[in-house]
Amino acid sequence: MKIVIAGGSSQAEFITTMFKGKENQLIIINPDAAEADRILKRCRVPVYVGEPWRKYVLEEAGAYDADIFIALCDRDTDNYASCVLAQRVFNAKKCICLVSNPKNVELYRELGIDSPISSTYLLAETIRSESSVESLIRTLSLDNDKIKIIESVILSRHKIANKKIKEIGFPKYASIAAIYRSHQLIIPNGDIELKPRDTLLIVTATENQRKILNFVQAEAEKK
Amino acid sequence: MRNKTIVVGCGRLGASIASYASSQGEDVIVLDPKKDAFTKLSESFSGYTIACDATEIDELEDAGIRDARELILTTGDDNVNLYLAHLCLAKYNIPYIYVRFDDPEKGFLIQGMPIKAIYPFQLSRDRFSLLQQGDDGE
Repeated sequence: MKIVIAGGSSQAEFITTMFKGKENQLIIINPDAAEADRILKRCRVPVYVGEPWRKYVLEEAGAYDADIFIALCDRDTDNYASCVLAQRVFNAKKCICLVSNPKNVELYRELGIDSPISSTYLLAETIRSESSVESLIRTLSLDNDKIKIIESVILSRHKIANKKIKEIGFPKYASIAAIYRSHQLIIPNGDIELKPRDTLLIVTATENQRKILNFVQAEAEKK
Repeated sequence: MRNKTIVVGCGRLGASIASYASSQGEDVIVLDPKKDAFTKLSESFSGYTIACDATEIDELEDAGIRDARELILTTGDDNVNLYLAHLCLAKYNIPYIYVRFDDPEKGFLIQGMPIKAIYPFQLSRDRFSLLQQGDDGE
């Protein structure tokens, strides 16, 4: 793989060490001469000094047709400009763009950057999924967070417990993809009865996540 | 209503464009993160000045970007200008976008888009060659 690493200090060093090897061709570009020197000494790889958002720099560094272009500069707009240049002029197949403002993740994606990543954004995502585990729900996001696969455990106090799927009026905007029952996989159909401690795997659009969770976790009315 | 002229960056170029547009009766809003920058505007400037960071989308929206008919990006950072030009075209579809680039090679990245570029250094150099040839342009 041809990998271009643009900017960054310790992150650049870490990624360089990780991908250094015969199977990868690494091109390392850093706008800061002192930083470039440090990476050169630590990783023993050539480092090109220059601003990665400038056309002549990518030209001279030979950054054409990269499989992955990673922009790790301090400023979000510098990373944006570097990625756009790599994509449109240097034919990079995939661009990873580090952003410090988590709000830029969505925006940069809308503007055509493949993978904007923000540590704050990832942190928030982790906190969200960790906090869901507590309430017996785990979620998996697919396709840039548009699709959710939700794991939800049925408790005996839930309204849908001990009922057949066809009787509960399961909403149309979601689907039960599978049921785990004592380590066995059950492919659902209308006649399957949902038992307490069953784990449901539910597929839905992200905007309906809350609604479907409210539905499956609704508690039975007390008699 | 889309009738505003928004100038981002109140340096020498931004301030003089904003002052000129204002003198032509346009409804001008100038954005710059530094309040002091607005002192460069001419005394007769009658538009609005807003101290904000235009790369923050919320601040840009608060400044009224949705009402912009013309957007002139004149910050001293090519990458900021490029990003804002792409963003404002894709998200707000502003009809007239002008962008300042110090690096003429940035032009490749707005090719085929309805964005017009101003290259101050190239203009000065062209002017210099004219003067050198004895053509004072008058």
